[in-house]
Amino acid sequence: MNKNRSMFMYGIMILFLLVIPFVYDSRTLLILLTQVFIFAIFAMSYDLLLGYIGIVSFGHAMFFGIGAYTIGIFMKRFEPTMSYLFIALLVTILLTAIISFFIGLLTLRLKSHFYAMLTLAFSGLFLVLAEKWRTMTYGNDGFTFRVPDFLKDRTEFYLICLVLMVLVFLVLRRFIHSPLGRVILAIRENEQRTESLGYNVLHYKIIASVVSGVIAGTSGMLYSISLRFVNTSVFSMDITLDALLMTIIGGVGTLVGAIIGSGLIEFAHHWLTEMAKTHWIFERWIIFFGIIYILAVMFFPQGIVGTLKRLRWRKDKK
Amino acid sequence: MELFFNLTLNGLATGMLIFLLAAGLTLIFGLMDVLNFAHGGLFAWGAYSGTWIYASTGSFFIGIMGAVATGMLLGWIIEKWMIKPVYGNHVQQILITLGLMLVLSELLKVVWGPNQISASPPDVLKGSWVIGDIIIIKYRVFIIAVGLLIFLIVQYILKRTKIGLVVRAGVMNKEMVQSLGINIHKVFMLVFMVGAGMAALGGVLVGPYSGVIHAGMGMEFAILAFIVVVIGGMRSFPGSILAAILVGLSGSFMAYYVPDLSLAVNMLLMAVVLIFRPKGLFGLKG
Repeated sequence: MNKNRSMFMYGIMILFLLVIPFVYDSRTLLILLTQVFIFAIFAMSYDLLLGYIGIVSFGHAMFFGIGAYTIGIFMKRFEPTMSYLFIALLVTILLTAIISFFIGLLTLRLKSHFYAMLTLAFSGLFLVLAEKWRTMTYGNDGFTFRVPDFLKDRTEFYLICLVLMVLVFLVLRRFIHSPLGRVILAIRENEQRTESLGYNVLHYKIIASVVSGVIAGTSGMLYSISLRFVNTSVFSMDITLDALLMTIIGGVGTLVGAIIGSGLIEFAHHWLTEMAKTHWIFERWIIFFGIIYILAVMFFPQGIVGTLKRLRWRKDKK
Repeated sequence: MELFFNLTLNGLATGMLIFLLAAGLTLIFGLMDVLNFAHGGLFAWGAYSGTWIYASTGSFFIGIMGAVATGMLLGWIIEKWMIKPVYGNHVQQILITLGLMLVLSELLKVVWGPNQISASPPDVLKGSWVIGDIIIIKYRVFIIAVGLLIFLIVQYILKRTKIGLVVRAGVMNKEMVQSLGINIHKVFMLVFMVGAGMAALGGVLVGPYSGVIHAGMGMEFAILAFIVVVIGGMRSFPGSILAAILVGLSGSFMAYYVPDLSLAVNMLLMAVVLIFRPKGLFGLKG
């Protein structure tokens, strides 16, 4: 009954989002919501790591950036056609899978600090690479590129992103409810016990980190397609911080939380950028996000969805 | 020969700066199991506050002292209000310190503006000595001397004093120390403050060395310090100075011969250490 109700709610939400571009004609809102969907995909991939297996990554921007640059380079160097888009997708999947596999193999057998540290260092390396490899990336300034025709229309792209977000949500949900996902949850709850039950913990952790990396790469692709421009900022710490904020404020380990968090943060972003015109302090909006983030981690570790769930659970018990 | 000598001196000086950062990280991690991602922020705060105090008082010594005091004060605030409430929850601690790192570097931009600030050494340390055809820049020698001095002092405290004994015992087994009636939380706070002070010292020294300071350099040095901590071993104090010198030297030589690869080489070094000796080259067991 409860499950049906929440599925019903999701259905209503998706329908609502599907109709928006046809009833409310606002370019700004459309672009903003597209960003929300893209970052929701990114945040869900992060949630898989932080919320479901308990791995802290500080370099998630790395996968995002790899996706963003791969599509950009392919569209710029070759023709902006469907087939090259497809090749770029394959290359992104391959690159992110290899890199996340490699980093996971190196550090996931050690304590959680190592993964956090190594991903931070690696994403720093990619940032430097994107700055220095000028012939390919045009350095700090980045470059604009053309996209295949069917992605040009804002409304269509909006719908594509929405569908992809729902798809990623369903796939990840399926993944978590699969036998493999159950083991992943068990690792979060008690690593030693899972290991002594005969599961190869490292194996499962690496699978989760590869899945997460690949999805993050895909969201990076969508991001640079939506801007038709890419520069080194896709590798910056801010992107990782966005993912962290979205998952933590929305609620870790819930997936829906990542989507809600993405909506909140993107709208807050938009709003604070508007405010920056009135007072300079709002240009340093990272401070506000940083402080909210620290307070959320300290006093509100379950996020919005987690807290709601707990409240409902209490009510049901009565 | 001259080139080799200069690159070595340069590498040693950079190594010492990284060591000041990595030493605090290692001690804090060894004792409290907290990997302090905000350490780079403390480094940058040391740089800005020290340079500012030096510029307004005209005394480099007061600048250094002011930076160390700022670092220790920030360390105290962070330990008391942010680390302690979530003690024992690693994921929360890692997440909080990263948030702090960002807040600290953004606050720098609010206080001192977003542009980089130039810094120069005091007159005594300006210029260089010339021996034969070798030119030795005074300020680099000064950094190396300060680094070594700090290493010796901390090493002396760790090995020869009561408090050092408690810290070393805490790194090995903190439950045991606590059950012997020692208030380990006071030790935590002290070590955190000293670590923060060392990071701030590194920060104030880096200004005249590189000529300019900017808010992003905290993160740059923090990444190098993480590499050092992994290579040297997460809990080993002597390991951190050796690894820092290694990373400093490789960085300086690589920056000369293959500039684009200098960070990549250090990363490769770290990857190799992680594959073959995940506890670090000089790490303790455990």
